Amino acid sequence: MLSIRNLTASINGTPVLKGIDLEIKAGEIHAIMGPNGSGKSTLGKVLVGHPAYEVTGGEVLYEGRNLFELAADERARAGIFMGFQHPIEVPGVSNAAFLRLAYNKKAEAEGRDELDPLEFDDFIHEKIKLVSMKEEFLDRSLNEGFSGGEKKRNEILQMAVLEPKLAILDELDSGLDIDALRVLGDAVNKLQRPDRALLIITHFPRILETIQPQFVHVLSGGRILKSAGKELATELEDRGYDWVLEEAAAGGAR
Amino acid sequence: MTTAVVGSSLLVDLLSAPRPAEWTSLREAAELRLAGRALPATRDEDWKYTDLKALAAGAFGPAPKTTVDISGHLLPEMVGTRQVFVNGHHAPHASCASAVPAGVRYFPMSHASEACHALGSVGNGAAKGLFEDLNTARFEDGAVILVPKNLKVALPLHLLFVTKAESPVAVFPRLLVVLERGAELELVEEHHGEGAYLSCPVVEVHVAEGAVLRHERVQRESPEAFHLATLKAEVGKGGQYHSRTLSFGARLSRQEPRVRLAEGAEATLDGLALLDGVQVADTHSFLHHAEPGATSRQLHKCIVDGRARAIFNGQVLVAKGAQGTDAQQQSRNLLLSEAARVDTKPQLEIYADDVKCSHGAAVGQLDPEELFYLQSRGMNADDARNLLTYGFAADVLTHVPVASLRRSLRQLVMARTQAGSLGDLA
Repeated sequence: MLSIRNLTASINGTPVLKGIDLEIKAGEIHAIMGPNGSGKSTLGKVLVGHPAYEVTGGEVLYEGRNLFELAADERARAGIFMGFQHPIEVPGVSNAAFLRLAYNKKAEAEGRDELDPLEFDDFIHEKIKLVSMKEEFLDRSLNEGFSGGEKKRNEILQMAVLEPKLAILDELDSGLDIDALRVLGDAVNKLQRPDRALLIITHFPRILETIQPQFVHVLSGGRILKSAGKELATELEDRGYDWVLEEAAAGGAR
Repeated sequence: MTTAVVGSSLLVDLLSAPRPAEWTSLREAAELRLAGRALPATRDEDWKYTDLKALAAGAFGPAPKTTVDISGHLLPEMVGTRQVFVNGHHAPHASCASAVPAGVRYFPMSHASEACHALGSVGNGAAKGLFEDLNTARFEDGAVILVPKNLKVALPLHLLFVTKAESPVAVFPRLLVVLERGAELELVEEHHGEGAYLSCPVVEVHVAEGAVLRHERVQRESPEAFHLATLKAEVGKGGQYHSRTLSFGARLSRQEPRVRLAEGAEATLDGLALLDGVQVADTHSFLHHAEPGATSRQLHKCIVDGRARAIFNGQVLVAKGAQGTDAQQQSRNLLLSEAARVDTKPQLEIYADDVKCSHGAAVGQLDPEELFYLQSRGMNADDARNLLTYGFAADVLTHVPVASLRRSLRQLVMARTQAGSLGDLA
């Protein structure tokens, strides 16, 4: 589904990604872990086309197409979704109207029928149950005045509405209490299917107890230093990141 | 020293129209103050950015009695609480006040002038504005609303001032609102029109101790109209006055809300102006924290396209001894074209030491992070821009209390921000 080959990227001329290789197949769940400032979030934002980052080398193929030929909105309509660490507030636009608009833009792109406000009302009421969101949040302005946890809930609601093929979730657990994390983790698991893939970006291994990855990668200094199965997450929980960095430094000196 | 002044003939012409009956002493006093005065010029600090040359070049006759079709302006929640004025004259056949609760006095001034003893009394002692005096000198009729002590009016009242100008006319809408102690009211005041005309509305508001008035003001004058409005409100101890002024129409409009707050009173003075073409919309507000412990909130937003121009001057005066004042002012402006222009200026004068006053002004384009967020959800750049522009304006409408009005205003904003293609956001 996604092939990242020797990807390099920079922000304001400063290199942040220094050669990333990663292969994600349909049905897989990958976790990117790493210390703060390692480039984890940058990788996610580059994949969804954030304008602040410049791709300086390498390539990314999404379902066989050159990802960088697609604008951010085209990537979204092609099935890529990112749940942001800090979702933006948009006053004046109701959450429900926004969700309907986003749904209909994607439906239109896929040649499916758009939903009118009444049909969408039924549709969204099923979806908010999945993330245990209170109905009043549909009438409020998009993310405006939402707590950190409510914003994350709203991100996963958007994911449930858009049903992406590839979902990238950036620090889903930040701002969430244990119960909310379990609810959202379960929701993400329910949305995962054999034809979809997940990329979980996280500093803390905690979230990986609910959303269990088959592959764990440690990113630091803009490079993937180590890849292994989900047991790596447990090891990182016990030992922290330093040993991976030291091991990589020793390997680099070889 | 006398010099020939631009516009002096306009005032003379307007005052040469016959003086209506009633309130003769009020009118004479206004005429006296107007004698020898000229229209303000851009060398006057208060009119620096608002050029009245086009107004001065006009000739506006008295507005004849006429009829208009108001069916497009009716709102379901307020069909039985409406008073309609056409060209400054009360329109009894278009009005219907059958649903107004007993106890509320709500009628044209021409019907019961003895009930209007408060007319002209708001802000006594302060200098009266030129357009306010013009109104006083020549208004034909107006609406009076008196809400007795402790009556909380369940239904909103709807006031429609409609102008139909086959040739250029001048109209002087007038409104007096008196809320006695503990009374509560929601009021929607709308201005519509067609043709070329000058409208100079004056609204006087008395909110007594503990009373609450929510006041929606919608300006949808014709594209050739001039709209120069004065609002004066006095808010008693612990009273509340919340207003929202929405400016969509007129080639040139000016809002001058002046609000005086007594101890512990609260005021909201929100505003939205949507401008394009060569429209000019000016708001000069004055919030007077005269006594301790009053709170004011002001959010003024403008979206300016084409070669249009928005002006905001937000004066806040905290009087000596008005300790514990809490005043917040925000002016936020969105420029949609290179030639659009905004001049915004906070003007805080604080003579008390224990106060919380803040102000902020922002002029700019849409936030790239917000645009990207919407694009990341599949909206193309144009749709994202239109949705954000809509949201910027619709933000001011979120708390409009009358559902059908809120919806129709959102639809108007959708149409004016090219958000119409995004489906129904209202």
